[in-house]
Amino acid sequence: MPLTESRLLQYLRQRTGIEDLDRNTALFSDGTVDSVGMVDLIAFLEHEGGCEIRDGDVTMDNFDNVSRILAFLTERAAE
Amino acid sequence: MNLANTAWELLSELPTQRLDEVAVIDGARRCTYRELARRAAGVSEWLQGRGIRRGDRVAVHLRKSVEEVVALFGIWHAGAVAVDVSGQWTLGQLDYVLRDCGVRALVTDAKRARELAKTELPPDVQAVLVAGDAPADDRMDTFADVPSAPRAAATRVIDRDLAAIMYTSGSTGLPKGVMLSHQNLVLGARSVARYLAIGPEDRLLSLLPLCFDYGLNQLLTTCLVGATIVLQAVPMPSEIAKTIAAHEVTGFAAVPPTWVQLVRWLADTGTRLPSLRYVTNSGGKIPRPILEQMPEVLPGVDIVLMYGLTEAFRSTWLPPEKFAKKMGAMGQAIPNAEVWVVDPDLGVCGPGQQGELVHRGALVSLGYWGKPEATREKIRPCPQLAHLIGDEPVVWSGDIVEIDEDGDLWFVGRHDGMIKSSGFRLSPTEVEEIVHRSGIVGEVVAFGVDDDALGQAVHVSVTPLQSHGTVDIEALERYVRAQMPHYMVPRAIHERAAMPRTASGKIDRPRVIADACEG
Repeated sequence: MPLTESRLLQYLRQRTGIEDLDRNTALFSDGTVDSVGMVDLIAFLEHEGGCEIRDGDVTMDNFDNVSRILAFLTERAAE
Repeated sequence: MNLANTAWELLSELPTQRLDEVAVIDGARRCTYRELARRAAGVSEWLQGRGIRRGDRVAVHLRKSVEEVVALFGIWHAGAVAVDVSGQWTLGQLDYVLRDCGVRALVTDAKRARELAKTELPPDVQAVLVAGDAPADDRMDTFADVPSAPRAAATRVIDRDLAAIMYTSGSTGLPKGVMLSHQNLVLGARSVARYLAIGPEDRLLSLLPLCFDYGLNQLLTTCLVGATIVLQAVPMPSEIAKTIAAHEVTGFAAVPPTWVQLVRWLADTGTRLPSLRYVTNSGGKIPRPILEQMPEVLPGVDIVLMYGLTEAFRSTWLPPEKFAKKMGAMGQAIPNAEVWVVDPDLGVCGPGQQGELVHRGALVSLGYWGKPEATREKIRPCPQLAHLIGDEPVVWSGDIVEIDEDGDLWFVGRHDGMIKSSGFRLSPTEVEEIVHRSGIVGEVVAFGVDDDALGQAVHVSVTPLQSHGTVDIEALERYVRAQMPHYMVPRAIHERAAMPRTASGKIDRPRVIADACEG
């Protein structure tokens, strides 16, 4: 089953303690997620999204908010 | 030459010809030393106007930014004690720290200030300075309210005074505040500046948080020599590389999880970082395959491995010329610190022997805030060294190390089962307490398992509440994720029917750990 938006939002809200985190909230450019959080987020996406994320994929374009992450995963699944 | 004895003096004693150099780069923003000193004095005047006096604790809870740097120096200008609380910590963790050391003023961002305005602030907190818009609250002001042409003189302190409290996890369960004197901070900066040969032309990349001892040291070392620090809040390898290239960064420090990602990314993309002169690692061991790749992806860069504890800042370093031959070693004592390896039976250990690392010198911290017993346990005289230094207290690291034939040290393991994950130290007890509180399990044992990315990963072994029952693993996962800071959340939960016991009836922890690792 592909990762849903609500599941990803739930994970990030729990993780950051930010209750009103939404699909456009900046995760990295605002300093919300640090280096440890990034390792965990990637592990979560690989586990729940069932895809491999290469080190070169982890960019601001692909990861800075939930919308971008979901778009990246969709694109990856279509490859 | 900068003759500072205290943290504020790192700015006030800087040779005047450095004052118009850029001290801090934060994205598109630049802040010179003159500007930094003026803004910090403004924060100091605001704090003093709000009743903050010498020795009062003032917390800083911000993302990495010029404001965070300004706040820290403002606190030191006022003769107060800086308590930098990780921007990643939850409101609950912040509240714990504010109460634990009786914080009297807080500097934070607009988001946190809004949350705080809705709750009851701890009674000692009398003023909050907000970076951004402040909620309508008598106790809260913004940086716009800070005097822009401050006249307050710096409050006089000496190097024996308390300068900062750093919160770190301890064996009794809750985080402990390590008390650092001005001497600890300034001599730590001098020692590092000396062995890394940092000069005014260097540009250091600051990725490590300023609430972390080595992160703060990078800032202070920069100021000591009048160099430039480039703040980097985004931890992605691609962004780190971009900043290093854009600002021609010469020095960079990170912890193992970052090295794993960055080295792989550099190898993957073929990107090179020619401006770098040196890089350092601290906060744990970098996995062997990554160490081996480092000289390839960082050609011509000095690779410096370091070891330290918050209670004594840094203890050892491995000079870069030894890296190829001794990849992964801790090396020897840093300048102006003395390190021994001792064993109750062997006394002071020599080549080929293993024992506990102890640290002596001016970097030894003042102990834990409000915890004299824990302090006496960590920082105490060493009988094996009595013939050399009498009863001078040393820091007992709790780390078992081995000495090789050249006198270089190698890490063997933790003395007391502490878990070191992603650069955070946490006690098994702390993890177990929270798992217990879930009410989902009968018994629990927490332990660390070697992990390439994290140093160690937290694992727990649990038994069902009732015999013959099962553990609702999913519910437990949900509970711990909600209750624990992220670095504490177990990466694996092992279920077993019952805990094995020792003859005296205690849980046989080594057995539990061995079973889980096999199983």
